[in-house]
Amino acid sequence: MKMRRLHKSLAVLAVAGLVAAACGGDDDSSETTSAPAPETTAAETPDTTQAPVQAEGDVDTSIVEDTTVVENKYGGSVTIGLEAEATGLRPWEDALSSPAYAIMRAIYDPLIEQDVEGKYQPFLAESISPNEDFTVWTMTLRPGVAFHNGTPLTAQTIVDMFAIQQTGSAAAGAISSSGLAGVEATGELEVTYTLNKQNSAFPAALQTAPLGFPFDPAAAAADPDGYSIAPIGTGPFTIKSRDLDNETVVERNPSYWGVDPDGNQLPFLDSISFRPIPDEGSRLDALLSGTVTAMQTLRQGTIRDARAARDGGADIELLEFQGNNLGGGHYNMAVAPYDDLRVRMGLVLLNSQENVIEALGGTGISLPGTQFFSPDSPWWSAKVAEAWPKFDFEAGKAKLQEYIDDPARSDGKAVGAKIDVALSCPPDPTLIAAMQVVEQTLTATELVNVAMTNFDQATHINIALGADNGFIGTHGAHCWRWSGEGDPSVAINPFLAPYSAENAEAAGLPGVVSPLNFANYWDPESFQAANDATKTDVFEDRYALYEFIMMRIVENVPIWYSGHTATAIGIQPNIKGLNGWHVPSGDLGIGFPSAEPRWIEAYIAD
Amino acid sequence: MRKVLVNRLLRLLGTLFAVTFLTFSLTSFLPGDPVTAILGVENIQDPELYQQVRDELGLDRPFVVRYVSWLGDVASGDLGKSYITDQPVIDTIKQRIPVTAQLAFMAVLMAVILAVPIGIIGAYRQGKWQDSVSSAAVQVALSVPNFITGIFFIWLFAVELNWLPSSSWSRISDRGLIENLKTAILPAGALAMTQMAIFSRLVRADMLATLQENYILAAKAKGLTDRYILFRHALRPSSLSLMTIIGINFGALLGGTVIIETLFAVPGLGFRLINAINQRDILVIQGITVFIAVVYVVINTLVDLLYAVIDPRIRRR
Repeated sequence: MKMRRLHKSLAVLAVAGLVAAACGGDDDSSETTSAPAPETTAAETPDTTQAPVQAEGDVDTSIVEDTTVVENKYGGSVTIGLEAEATGLRPWEDALSSPAYAIMRAIYDPLIEQDVEGKYQPFLAESISPNEDFTVWTMTLRPGVAFHNGTPLTAQTIVDMFAIQQTGSAAAGAISSSGLAGVEATGELEVTYTLNKQNSAFPAALQTAPLGFPFDPAAAAADPDGYSIAPIGTGPFTIKSRDLDNETVVERNPSYWGVDPDGNQLPFLDSISFRPIPDEGSRLDALLSGTVTAMQTLRQGTIRDARAARDGGADIELLEFQGNNLGGGHYNMAVAPYDDLRVRMGLVLLNSQENVIEALGGTGISLPGTQFFSPDSPWWSAKVAEAWPKFDFEAGKAKLQEYIDDPARSDGKAVGAKIDVALSCPPDPTLIAAMQVVEQTLTATELVNVAMTNFDQATHINIALGADNGFIGTHGAHCWRWSGEGDPSVAINPFLAPYSAENAEAAGLPGVVSPLNFANYWDPESFQAANDATKTDVFEDRYALYEFIMMRIVENVPIWYSGHTATAIGIQPNIKGLNGWHVPSGDLGIGFPSAEPRWIEAYIAD
Repeated sequence: MRKVLVNRLLRLLGTLFAVTFLTFSLTSFLPGDPVTAILGVENIQDPELYQQVRDELGLDRPFVVRYVSWLGDVASGDLGKSYITDQPVIDTIKQRIPVTAQLAFMAVLMAVILAVPIGIIGAYRQGKWQDSVSSAAVQVALSVPNFITGIFFIWLFAVELNWLPSSSWSRISDRGLIENLKTAILPAGALAMTQMAIFSRLVRADMLATLQENYILAAKAKGLTDRYILFRHALRPSSLSLMTIIGINFGALLGGTVIIETLFAVPGLGFRLINAINQRDILVIQGITVFIAVVYVVINTLVDLLYAVIDPRIRRR
């Protein structure tokens, strides 16, 4: 079994090596390259015109109370392999990804945190409440909380933070999107947030960086660059050393304010060591060999290999999570032929999600997506799931044929000419395999010319962003990931706002432009619904509005879905407490979405 | 000799100028810009903020203006600051070059230790089974890319045998020499295999030529043992081209450890370079590339000058 994994790793790296060679030494080169096609024989090639058996995700994502009986939870260390180095640890300044959050959640506490049901609960805050129209939010901080350097956390701290956040690269965007206009200390521990728009989902902005992780504003102002190396938070661990690209070590904060539901002082671990190991195979090998005692992965192929290793006798456990985040892509509706609903619908009908998930290595791991929410989410809609166009080769072909036969077809080609589809994904081997599945299906219609391109992640994003042409972009069918565990407004609202200055003018909304509307999708009704959803906190009303938006997406298909993103934290079995940790109210926390562990109640069970 | 020196230094300057221009051009014309990485995709909510960051970085200035400005800074030793970490690029290089240099040194050392006996045996037993076996082994080592060797080493020595850590790096200053060597030996070994193959072929070929020399026959006629002849009379004259290629390959290894450092999570120059490319951290890419190029070109120039010192015919050309 291990030999099989070795062979797989060799094959993946061989492909990566070929790409690297073709791109001048790096598989993330910006040069346009054709996908390096793994050899497949006719016998191995799936019949992409037939829908296979429905893929079933069997991820156990249940968050449960830890029932392990342990005499002494205190002491011990964890070494975790991260998928990359954290790009920075400054909440107001740095663009943060999963590895950065894995470290930051040890050092910083959030003002607000999500519980197991996804609801927002106070964490460093003791309470938070809005005025009637959700334009003013009053938050009371927990007393007795201090930063690692002993400075107390007060309302004035939050005010002073805001001055720094306003100039921070990361925070400025969050301030803009949340509508935050001012922060005032209205008491020793009472903070009043004033917004320039109604926002019933404002607590979502306080759950995470850049606005929700309190930092020491005096220390940040004194040495903003140094803060990334020596961050100061209120969290359960303090920074001990930070050796970029090698190891970041945090150690127990002896003055931490938090206790577990039994009243035990937190945290339990003495220290945590974070090591970036970017190669997926190497990271798993590091866990299997004991080089690290935990690892994170956001790749279902690695989850599959880790499961196989575990089932083959390796002494590891997997904490798997499958939330709202899902893969797929968007069509650039500002350019032909994607500006035509028949083309988009045809392409969606020809998207065999199960075949794509299989190519991604996610069969039995990843659930096919139908909306921005997973079936576990309170926002999930059975109506949308039922309505999402499922794979239907003949129906898809018929839609494309309609367009091809239309003398007024938008791409300006002659009647009967094949449609050109530009399909682009980052050069990950599994994504390339998935692209080939799509390409084979589309080619089988004999109605489509498919051009496949692979750009490195940064270029891929920049192409979709399209800053050079007024944020419209030059992409066609572009692989993407959607949604997350936060409030629906976080992922959905920017996607529905006008996509360019011209679009905003035409819609009578001058100045309201969202570069994050990557599909250039403009639907006034959805935009209105998204805005309305931030003007009420009645769940049923908000649910109905987001269901409406999802149904409009079903009708307009600006995007397509593959499967929900499975993530996992692999651990040695004696590491406990990463699953059933609690928010201060005593309720279970949200778990470990995006393989971002919360370390607050982690302990070693030896 | 002075003329040779001036000539070589002028060539060196020309090469360095070309390297800086090409590096700057290539990174400048990459699609997109670093603003996305700096802000984070989810934070690009406001086109004005996006443009503001572009302005701050001076990305809209003409290419030539940016190049001249950057070159001026580089000439004065200022490689700029990372867009992502705000760390000076020169500090990034200073922190990482010892790691990469150690890997390169260990790789070359391991390669020489293996290559010399293999090359000698191959030459001494030319056409015999020992020669066939060593040639086949060398051929395999030469054919297999070092990252494949690396994966094999991880599987064998870390996962199966549990002798060594599979990845990461222990600094001597933090954990001592022994722990450092434990983390260095696998990546260095993976790098060494290809070098070993090249070196042993060179030693074998040179030894074969040396063993045909008259003074070797004279030594044999004097009744000296084969071992004495091989190591005292034949090896030294057969090592000159080996020494040259060691120097050149050491320079190449400083820039050629990218994949191995990524595979083993070794915090050297190559690992940083890959991260910088992924993050569009342009000044870091430019700084590291120029540094590697300078080291490589300087080593080659020194080798050229060394030839001129050793061989009067080159001086006269």
